[in-house]
Amino acid sequence: MTTNNPLESYIVRFRCVLAGMTLAEQEDIVAEIRAHIDERVSVSGMSIEETLARLGSPEDLAREYSRGALVRRAGNGFSPWLILRAAFAWAMTGIHGAGAFVTALFGYALAFAFMLCCLLKMVFPDETGLWIDPDFNFGFRPGDLPQSHEVLGSWFQPIAFGIGLLLFTLTTMLMRTLLHRFKQWRTSAFRDSEAPRVVLRTVPGLARRAAQHAAQRLGAEFPKRPNGIRNASPAEPRTDR
Amino acid sequence: MRGILSDKYSGLNGSNGREDYAERWEAQLRKGCLEMAVLAVLSEGESYGLEIIRALESHSNLVLSEGTVYPILNRLREDGLVDSSWVESTGHPRKYYSLTRKGRERATRMAESWMEFAAGLSALIEPLVPATKGRSGRK
Repeated sequence: MTTNNPLESYIVRFRCVLAGMTLAEQEDIVAEIRAHIDERVSVSGMSIEETLARLGSPEDLAREYSRGALVRRAGNGFSPWLILRAAFAWAMTGIHGAGAFVTALFGYALAFAFMLCCLLKMVFPDETGLWIDPDFNFGFRPGDLPQSHEVLGSWFQPIAFGIGLLLFTLTTMLMRTLLHRFKQWRTSAFRDSEAPRVVLRTVPGLARRAAQHAAQRLGAEFPKRPNGIRNASPAEPRTDR
Repeated sequence: MRGILSDKYSGLNGSNGREDYAERWEAQLRKGCLEMAVLAVLSEGESYGLEIIRALESHSNLVLSEGTVYPILNRLREDGLVDSSWVESTGHPRKYYSLTRKGRERATRMAESWMEFAAGLSALIEPLVPATKGRSGRK
């Protein structure tokens, strides 16, 4: 019955795309759309096909709801997964979103790399560390140990963990700010022109420096994550002490 | 069934490939104004989705696809500009919206800046429009 009934198939398609909100919110939204269709058909005497056509495609309609909900929830929470999803949805709308998404991805990958170093130190204590003598090396070097002495010793783990945590927090805070801005200029009528400025003002400091460092140190050969681990050093200065 | 429906949608959304730039601009403009228009309708008293759509249709040709009004109402509620409550009347459940104080202030501010904006711009573009008829095609 459901597939033949245009109303039900509309609702099913609508529900499929509706995401990023609680079940109660979804039910409320569906009930409202249903009420609209019911009243159009029974009071205005419009045909069901005409009513549905005037509502617009169920996917477009659901997407309008979801995008806002996702961005709102991600902007108010601390979940990297939600933030990445919201940034990805934003990326679909244009170049600024794509920039924000890449920034988030990069920030989290870097944070993850430092955390991974911290773990690797437990398993390979001799091959993970910080060497500064011939040239600067931070991370995991299986079978390719420099001549010099490893510098940090037992400090390595807390420092790697600290930097990872710091990067994680910075990325999250930055993305929350960006998502809030995004929500604001998406909501207000004629503000689209501000988008580039907002992103340019907020992103570059961190992103540009991080990118430069990464490019410089991209000579590392790490088994699983070739460009994640050793080239991670935008916030390095503090390790020198 | 599906085929018929999606044909209609694409016709309404105007997404058949080579839409001319002016038309897309006009669609953006409508979309941008819709929020202010919805707030304006609600400033005359509480109302529900379909009634808001009817009011918008009678005042303007803002509503291209009726669906767009509902996500906007939802967002306005999340931003605390409107309150909503379900009312069961004559068998038809309706979700009524009313402006909050914040919503009323926002509506007033938007209206003011719109008037200012439109007055300046109208004076500028007036010479472009032939005296006899408006250029914008009504659908």
